[in-house]
Amino acid sequence: MDLTFSPRVNLVLGRNGEGKTNFLEALNFLALGRSHRGSKPDEMINFDKETLHVTLEVEEESGSVLTCEFGLDRSGGRRFRVDGEAIRRRADLVGRLVTVFFNPDSIRLVRGAPQRRRHFTDHGLSEFDPLFLSHLTALQRVIRQKTGLLRDHKKGLASPPETRRELESWNKELAVHAAEVCAGRQEYACLLTPYSHGTHKTLTDNDLQLGFRYCPNLECVKSRQKNDPEKPFAKEGLAADIFQEIDYIMESEIQRGRPRIGPQLDDFEVRLDGVDLRVYGSQGEIRTATIALILARSDVLYQKRQIRPVLFFDDIFSELDRHRAHRLQEMSSRHHQVFVATARADDIADWRPEEMKAWNVQGGGFTEADNEPPY
Amino acid sequence: MTVAGKFDNGDGGEFQSPALERLVRSLSRLPGLGRKSATRLALHLVGHDEAAGPAEELVAAVTEARLQVTNCSSCGAITEADPCRICKSERRDSTQICIVATPVDILPFEKAGFYRGRYFVLGGLLSPLDGVRAEDLPFHRLGVRLEKDGVKEMIIALDVSVEGETTALYLQRLFADRDLQLTRLATGIPVGGALAYVDEVTLQRAFQFRRTF
Repeated sequence: MDLTFSPRVNLVLGRNGEGKTNFLEALNFLALGRSHRGSKPDEMINFDKETLHVTLEVEEESGSVLTCEFGLDRSGGRRFRVDGEAIRRRADLVGRLVTVFFNPDSIRLVRGAPQRRRHFTDHGLSEFDPLFLSHLTALQRVIRQKTGLLRDHKKGLASPPETRRELESWNKELAVHAAEVCAGRQEYACLLTPYSHGTHKTLTDNDLQLGFRYCPNLECVKSRQKNDPEKPFAKEGLAADIFQEIDYIMESEIQRGRPRIGPQLDDFEVRLDGVDLRVYGSQGEIRTATIALILARSDVLYQKRQIRPVLFFDDIFSELDRHRAHRLQEMSSRHHQVFVATARADDIADWRPEEMKAWNVQGGGFTEADNEPPY
Repeated sequence: MTVAGKFDNGDGGEFQSPALERLVRSLSRLPGLGRKSATRLALHLVGHDEAAGPAEELVAAVTEARLQVTNCSSCGAITEADPCRICKSERRDSTQICIVATPVDILPFEKAGFYRGRYFVLGGLLSPLDGVRAEDLPFHRLGVRLEKDGVKEMIIALDVSVEGETTALYLQRLFADRDLQLTRLATGIPVGGALAYVDEVTLQRAFQFRRTF
């Protein structure tokens, strides 16, 4: 298959189970280095084939062309190349080709577990801040090591004085990276809020304040944030404070056999005019807030790197009312390349953007639809 | 005897000689060797008629190395004589000790030749996930060594990873109450490296530890 897409809007039409999502997944795979929905290589490769190969040529706004390739085989072997350069770590892929994926499941950003919101923040910030990403990766590694140490100890595999000294060293290393991660999360939440308010206003026409606020788990981070919750805080001395706070509860961590506090337990509040949507949001409010936040993230990225992510909408227009769906279509196609997958063509019936291409998916095959999508 | 063509691949993709098959398998278990390269090496080894071919040479070399090679009981370096040449040398400064993770890490220092102190090999880094805990590393022996040699400076030359950093922090904690100067190798831009290709983290470190010029 060799396809050339519209730089603006691409409709991917087809009945359920014909391969629309699969197709979006393949494109998104190149951006993330993994499947956005956790598919295994075996599940992504055509039943009668041994390998999978996708090459994407992306023309950037600047006019330069980025070539991304990936190959996958059934045993789990994978190969990525960007502009001919082999990519070895997934971290090196972050921020090269940036995509945003919406599907009905996306509302879990607001309603789901804190992990979703941490991931949203961490990923959004990593796209333009490689130092943050390196601290985040280190932090996650330290936490795994520390968890392993505490577990070993609980199982009686280590002598107490040794464990304490070791734990102290891991906590010190943890604090160094935690300070950077916490400060980064606060900074990102502060960056995002004005944009999320703007995108929410455009989507809904109401002037309710949509805010995204960092709720750190560590007390010393909370107290730094308290002075001005809307502003980034200073990092000076934060690592030392974090170490002190974690070191103080060492005995109880040893007793429980697992880490008890730290940035791995951070959360973010999504507030609409002061109301916590995680708890009190209606289905509709949550859906609009989710979209506003994700679009705000792409605005932040644009502000930082002058990059507009490619947007993927997988079956989401059927869940929005006409007005909001229409606003979202307008907003997204103004600046972005968009892929819309839907089974019900009438969800997008009155949408006629310029430079639109429509594709029919049937049995995994792709054909370009005639000028007019088949409504 | 020429080998090419003599050992046909059997139906199962294996040699008809069980002995050769065994050789290929044990070679392919070595680090960095797949079945293909193992087969090439195996055929090379057995494909000579003379009595003292490469195979005999290899067998003798492996046997001898197995018998002779040991770790220095003082620093942990790979050596035949114990203590090793570096630990024994009068010209090395015994008040300076360089802490490395593996015996291989000594080689670049020795190749460069600027370092006149001694070494101590930890044999690993703290990493509970890999089952390496403080009691698995020779910290006690290191303590004895510091005392005995009257070490004044301990240079930490461990990997720049969370495990390396944590092990360094552990050393610092362990010997905090000794009259000992602790130093760490600097991280920064490699000599001959183009600045444009330095990764962000290395660059940040290089910037952080920049010096007056």
